[in-house]
Amino acid sequence: MTAMIVRRLLQAPLILLIIYTVTFALAWLLPGNPLDKPEGRRPPVEVQEAMKAQYSLDNPVKFYVSYLDQVSGLAWLRDRGGGDEGESADAPLAARPIFNLGPCLQYEDWSVNEIIGGALPVSVVLGLVALVFALAIGLVAGVVGAVRPGSWMEVATLLVALIGISLPSFVIGTALLIVFAVWLEWVQVAHWGSPRDLLLPALTLSLPFAAYIARLTRLGMIEVLSADFIRTARAKGVSEARIVLRHALKVAFLPVLSYLGPAAAYVMTGSFIVEKVFNIPGLGQHFVNSVLNKDLFVIMGVVLTYSTMLVLFNLTVDILYRWVDPRIEQG
Amino acid sequence: MRASLPIVLLLALLTGAILLDKPRQAAELTFINRGEVHTLDPQRMSWLQDFRIANSIYEGVVAHDNDTFEILPGVAESWEISPDGLTYTFHLRRDAKWSNGDPVTAQNFVYSWRRALFPDTAAGYADLFYKIRGGQAFFNWRSEQLASFPQQAAGLSQSKRRDLAARLFAEAVQRFSDTVGLRAPDERTLILTLEVPTPYMLDLLAFGPFMPVHPPTVERYVSLDPATGSMRQQHGWTKPPHLVSNGPYVLDVWRYKRDLRLKRNPSYWNPLAAVSDSVLCISVEDANTAVLAYETGTIDWLSDVGVDYRADMLAQKKRYMERNAARYEELERQGLGYNEILAILAKESPPRAGERNDIHAFAAFGTYFYNFNCQETLNSGAFNAFKDARVRRAFARSVDKQAIVDRVTRQSQPVAHVLIPPGSLAGFSGADGLRYDPALARRELADAGWSDRNGDGRVEDEAGNPFPTVEILFPSVSEHKAIAQAIANMWERELGVRTRLREEETKVAATHLQEHNFMVARGNWYGDYGDATTFLDLHRTGNSNNDRNYSSPVFDDLMARADAELDPEQRLRLLEEANAMIENEEIPLLPLFHQVTLYMYDPARLRNVSTHPRLTQFLHELEVAR
Repeated sequence: MTAMIVRRLLQAPLILLIIYTVTFALAWLLPGNPLDKPEGRRPPVEVQEAMKAQYSLDNPVKFYVSYLDQVSGLAWLRDRGGGDEGESADAPLAARPIFNLGPCLQYEDWSVNEIIGGALPVSVVLGLVALVFALAIGLVAGVVGAVRPGSWMEVATLLVALIGISLPSFVIGTALLIVFAVWLEWVQVAHWGSPRDLLLPALTLSLPFAAYIARLTRLGMIEVLSADFIRTARAKGVSEARIVLRHALKVAFLPVLSYLGPAAAYVMTGSFIVEKVFNIPGLGQHFVNSVLNKDLFVIMGVVLTYSTMLVLFNLTVDILYRWVDPRIEQG
Repeated sequence: MRASLPIVLLLALLTGAILLDKPRQAAELTFINRGEVHTLDPQRMSWLQDFRIANSIYEGVVAHDNDTFEILPGVAESWEISPDGLTYTFHLRRDAKWSNGDPVTAQNFVYSWRRALFPDTAAGYADLFYKIRGGQAFFNWRSEQLASFPQQAAGLSQSKRRDLAARLFAEAVQRFSDTVGLRAPDERTLILTLEVPTPYMLDLLAFGPFMPVHPPTVERYVSLDPATGSMRQQHGWTKPPHLVSNGPYVLDVWRYKRDLRLKRNPSYWNPLAAVSDSVLCISVEDANTAVLAYETGTIDWLSDVGVDYRADMLAQKKRYMERNAARYEELERQGLGYNEILAILAKESPPRAGERNDIHAFAAFGTYFYNFNCQETLNSGAFNAFKDARVRRAFARSVDKQAIVDRVTRQSQPVAHVLIPPGSLAGFSGADGLRYDPALARRELADAGWSDRNGDGRVEDEAGNPFPTVEILFPSVSEHKAIAQAIANMWERELGVRTRLREEETKVAATHLQEHNFMVARGNWYGDYGDATTFLDLHRTGNSNNDRNYSSPVFDDLMARADAELDPEQRLRLLEEANAMIENEEIPLLPLFHQVTLYMYDPARLRNVSTHPRLTQFLHELEVAR
């Protein structure tokens, strides 16, 4: 297991470098000038030139190398080692981030580190709550569906799963907002910060995942419940509840667990639509807006953050997987 | 047991994460700004939402009146202008203080305006500072100095490069004080000398980019870059608690795309200036969510209504106003203004079902138009029919603007025949512009050599070549698309030309506009200051906002003469002449309608809302009745 972890950790930088290069190429090729305002007044030509030079936007190779230097933490290490003879004297060394994701071009007062630093915790909270909801709804629905085939409960769970998968979240989200915020006034619109604000968006975000988990669980349970060891357990007089929860679910949960890795990364890096409808200051909006603004540094920063999370979550899930199910080959 | 571990882990992470986040603090006034604030560095600002905050946290030498836009004293309590209109002497008030208690000095203004003229700052409004004597020359001098840095620094060690950068910078600062018309003989006297007399200079000085920054705070974030020799300025100082400012409010909280909170500045010289103790600006990207936030009472004021159903809301407002028209007129005759009347009406006759009184359309200082490419040939090298003013006039006269406003945009915008909103500039009489007249349009097109010679319903030139397909460039936004479709239909119908819509992603369309890579394109302009040049400069040869690439020696000459004219009346006449030439003859752009700004607020609750077209809206003057 240790060998597996070490190997995966060594692979990670390489994967990230490939992602960096591909994202850079795509982002650089995007048409449009990142410093241009979509509307309104343009500064004089000489000022526009000064702006471009400030961010090395005039030379792709220079940009690729110097940004990689900053992002990877190499510049930071070098500055540490080389005393005060650093390449860039932007800020006091102590205040400089190790992985410097660069400035935001559209919102000049912010660095990408500050932006992600503010948005990521929000997305993580929302994502985790959504994941808990998804697991709770999905597991219950899946188990019920498998244990009582043909009952009204199965029909109900299938219906929930169908709605969760097929209705887009802007419809569900808006409907929830109108009912709970406008009619019932239980929650505030465009408010974020108290646990109550989490409920509606987390529910909206969780539904598609809940539906998928319900399907995975249901299929797994149906298969497991007909397995030999379950029949043995029944023959030995083990109670039905214990069979389902203790023996069958443990096996049926495995596919759900492997799905949790990418699902966690996905929900935690935010959903643009859910964030937009509920006005949540998370990371998802920056994905979309940075591309629309052609804000190179934000695009690169957000993609790299997302990729790092994805790599780490997949690794975590693989470790957990082996921990939970020793049957899986080690190494 | 083992299977429950992931779930326990998940719950632990969750509890930790929830405990980390801070909810926002309420405020006396809560509103949604026009968009996210880009910067709180006044010299780098260029967006209305940024200026709106700046007006409440900074104070310039002079200030605007929120309702009339007249000039009021700011940090300067008095000033003199020399008879030749070139030298302004400001006397700063003794009690003007920064939020940390430091006095606001004349040197602070010199420092702030100098930053704007350093190309290193890349200030978007640097050209407004070119009015200062020697300003533009200094900007260009420093640019050249920086351009020579790589050559001078070649082969030097890191520390030598740093020394070189410092030497050049010191030279530049010295040159600035030697050559640029800006002096602070003592702490409380600021002397400004201009390049040419600029009658609207005080108006500019009340504008955001001329507001001061606190030099010791900013200096902590400034360094010289050994790679380029230029001054690098980090923006940490614009965040709380670092930001030191000199206006009625100080910045309390600022979280990116979340919220921005202002609180009273205890050091401000006029404690009565700020009505509310605190102001909260929340970021809402989605237009529907913003309206919901207003409807549910989360905010007191929505400063831009962007929902698709705004036309229906305006129709409901119209019903309300029609029902109360007689009473409105009666109150108006008593000398009451729009907001006062609506506040009274809200009590006397609240809106019924299907009516509303809380959406407000105010005329803005801007115009929506179509650009004609005026180059000899298109960028592709192809023939450009629009280089001919007769063709441009024909196309302008065949657009039924009233129909567009009534049936397409439906936001009660006033139809525009000219670029400068009529009545928006005191003393300036605008031109008539061209009216909708399809018959005359066809005659003008025929004069230009385009008529239907073979009876196929399409116009051709003498050699029988059909009129080039008119390509209309517009950004991918449903409103722009609907307008483009309507105009394309009108041109096909009235003029017998073929059209093609070229819809492009917003940023891409903006780039193509700047590169003059279009035939006809949607455009938009808001004036920055109270003078006709804020619109007319667009047509000067080589202006960075002359998307049309229009160039006329006659026009340029008129503008140059207006620049040099010492008599304000005579100068206005020259500008009017230039304007008439553009609007009646040349038509480099086709005005469609003047912009309106849509607000949502309850007229009985929110007071002191300015209806002035410049719509900066001073936050410190808005009052929420409790």
